[in-house]
Amino acid sequence: MPADTPPPTTDLRPFAERVYERTLGSCHAVFLPTPVEDVVTWKGSFLTFPDFGAGEELVQELVMSLLDKGTRRRDRFAIARIVDDRGAQLRFYADGIRCGFYGRALREDVPELMAILAEQLREPLFDADEFEKARAHLIARVHRSMESTGSQASAALSRRLFPPDHPNHTPAPQTQLERLGAVTLDEVRAFHERHVGANTLNLAVVGDVDVPAMEAVLRAHLADWPAADVPARFGTDGTNLPPGRTVVPMPDRDNVDVRMGHGLSVRRQDADYIPLYLATYILGGNFSARLMTTIRDEMGLTYGIHAGLVGISTLYHGYWQVGVTLSRENVERGIEATLEQVRRFTDEGVTADELEEKKTTITGSFEVGLATTNGLAIALLKNLERGFGPGYLDRFPREVAAVELDTVHAAMQRHLDPERFHFALAGTLPEAAPPGADAAS
Amino acid sequence: MNHDAFEFVEASGGIEAYRLPANGLDVLLLNQAAAPVVTFMVTYRVGSRNEVPGHTGATHFLEHLMFKGTERFNKRRGTSVFNVLQRVGAQVNATTWLDRTNYYELLPREHLALAVEIEADRMRGALIDPDEMERERTVILNEFDRGQNEPMRNLYHAVWSAAFVAHPYHHPTIGWRSDIETVTPEGLRHYYDTFYWPNNATLSIIGDFDPAEALDLVARHFGPIPASPAPIPEVRTREPEQRGERRLTVRQAGQLGMLMVAFKAPTALEADTDALDVLATILTTGKGSRLYRRLTDAGLTTSVFAATSRLRDPGLFYLFASLAPGHGHADVEAVLLNELETIKDDGVSEDEVRRAQRQLHAQEAFGRDGPFSVASQLNEAIAAGDWRLYTTYLDRIRRVTPEAVQQAARTYLLEDRRTVGWYVPT
Repeated sequence: MPADTPPPTTDLRPFAERVYERTLGSCHAVFLPTPVEDVVTWKGSFLTFPDFGAGEELVQELVMSLLDKGTRRRDRFAIARIVDDRGAQLRFYADGIRCGFYGRALREDVPELMAILAEQLREPLFDADEFEKARAHLIARVHRSMESTGSQASAALSRRLFPPDHPNHTPAPQTQLERLGAVTLDEVRAFHERHVGANTLNLAVVGDVDVPAMEAVLRAHLADWPAADVPARFGTDGTNLPPGRTVVPMPDRDNVDVRMGHGLSVRRQDADYIPLYLATYILGGNFSARLMTTIRDEMGLTYGIHAGLVGISTLYHGYWQVGVTLSRENVERGIEATLEQVRRFTDEGVTADELEEKKTTITGSFEVGLATTNGLAIALLKNLERGFGPGYLDRFPREVAAVELDTVHAAMQRHLDPERFHFALAGTLPEAAPPGADAAS
Repeated sequence: MNHDAFEFVEASGGIEAYRLPANGLDVLLLNQAAAPVVTFMVTYRVGSRNEVPGHTGATHFLEHLMFKGTERFNKRRGTSVFNVLQRVGAQVNATTWLDRTNYYELLPREHLALAVEIEADRMRGALIDPDEMERERTVILNEFDRGQNEPMRNLYHAVWSAAFVAHPYHHPTIGWRSDIETVTPEGLRHYYDTFYWPNNATLSIIGDFDPAEALDLVARHFGPIPASPAPIPEVRTREPEQRGERRLTVRQAGQLGMLMVAFKAPTALEADTDALDVLATILTTGKGSRLYRRLTDAGLTTSVFAATSRLRDPGLFYLFASLAPGHGHADVEAVLLNELETIKDDGVSEDEVRRAQRQLHAQEAFGRDGPFSVASQLNEAIAAGDWRLYTTYLDRIRRVTPEAVQQAARTYLLEDRRTVGWYVPT
């Protein structure tokens, strides 16, 4: 029989009081100790500003994929051995204007892994054979994306809404394959030399963290990493294309993915952002949102339908998107039914009850999302990148709770208009595309 | 903890197990005060394993209909399950798999009572309305079509279907299309009345909660539900011994090929399965693993992974490889099978086993990060037949020796018990 001991209690102090924020040379770090046993998770990022118009985001992808393929001091197997022996995870990623890294390890292994991380970031080997393998992997990834109706529909919509120099623009697969075929190892080395450095380097470390020890580790390995002084080179606004439809024909795909949406002149820090976030959540944010309850529950037309704000940052504009999957026999009926609900939403607005319901949904699920070290590291880093600071984890629920119905309706009127929708469809369509549709490959 | 309504069963790895003697309901409690949230989960010990031909997909269809609600919680009254739970910020959903169906809510701790009340209400009160069912049928058919879009999924199911000819692991959990199209409300009602009872379920409560209050809640809402009037039916079909390699090809429009190689494997609870877990780790976990080096690092594949299915009945140990451009199935298969033969002949080193144990130890620690992650793993252990598989897993893995890994490879990685599938893009 277990003892009748009082249950442990959760630390409910505001995040602003629990986070240790430090500037360690060129690294802006936050540490958040949590009661999780033995696990430390970290996530960091830095600005790289690739030239999207020149396809440099693919060069950037290659650079990131080569960081764990050996350094000037150790070959890839020596590094893999250290990481594998500790059961740790250490990954790099490229994400538009930024690149970043993610790690998770047992507490005792963190110092050694941070040393490896810094070595990989600062002294990659860029071996010629590894470059060819990385290129082949990236080409394979593009090919696999060509098998996915969801990827193809989303990418096709992005090309209607944003010009090639915008971070939200996804080039056509053929364009990506041609660019990848032409990339040289010298280009990869040069990109690393010019773009990869402690340019607004932010780092969040969460879990079983020994704060003084972590500070010492970061001072030793990352604090003196020089910044890459690279100018911002990206478009911030959407295209001015008239509304239209792109069809990506794909054989053997009975489920058709449909994306519809239009660009928004809103950035994350704007006052209209949260009211629009709430409004679009009411339309299609979750299972109890309007689109799921009508198009799925009442009409049985789809397994999944959603609406939301996509690709909005503090530095550039994004878009409003509605996505739905439809069996091929239901494509046009499903699109029409969806548009009917979207028009009702923009014409009639939302109700006070819907707004109150989704406020508690969003603040509650925000709290739930912060229940893991990974969720916390993601949220902390995101708000460091935005310049909002770690205290935004406390402020966000208050900002949501304060939104009033009139504010939501005013923001909807200013920004949301289904008559401006662009459409992108990918899959095996039941018949020829309607007149006026563009076909994409 | 003492509680009048419950019988304390045992404690293991920080989890306390209780049972409601009145109806046989099992309850697992794990207190984790890392964040002010709690996960409430009901695991029913029914999955596609319990389905018969003509009725495949019934478990999954029923899982969908459980969200159409009860007399108290339904859309007509504005109290649908999603509406009530998502209003308070809950992440709520359900999943169906071969051996089990689970319903879960991850929510702020002050709303635990709501989740308990709803799950108790729909354990015996689901409406299973014929009109709702017809609307949901096309939703599921769209879900089916989405799955059919994916070559990897089609290859996976084709291999399982070929590997199992008698046991219900033969059919995919979503069911065959014709069965989804024709299942009746009466059929689903019968299925519900057969399997959805407290003595066929385990509740798990994980996260920040008061154990005494939680048990009070469970007793109040689940206590009045009677045990099943008839015993829960057993699955009696045993897969006959496979006596020869089976090969298949899946052709579908696409770009790059894939390969799956599967061997008949023991049940989740057998010690040999621990050795196979270590073997899978040695083969494909990390950039120093054997097959990563021989296939992915060598440029033949873009990814390769191995896994043991760990199911209630004997399942599969399988390897999955995604081909790199310009490389053929036969080349990759030859390297993969050669590596398996090498292990059967020469065994694995102490060093490799120690590294795999360390990797599994770290994965287990990572898996305790947050109540939902714990619930997901506990769910599979319950489905496999013993929740303590979760709490004793690391001890089991620590007992694995290099000799045990080699012996498991020699016992199970046999040509005659092998099924090989190729996805060939057209």
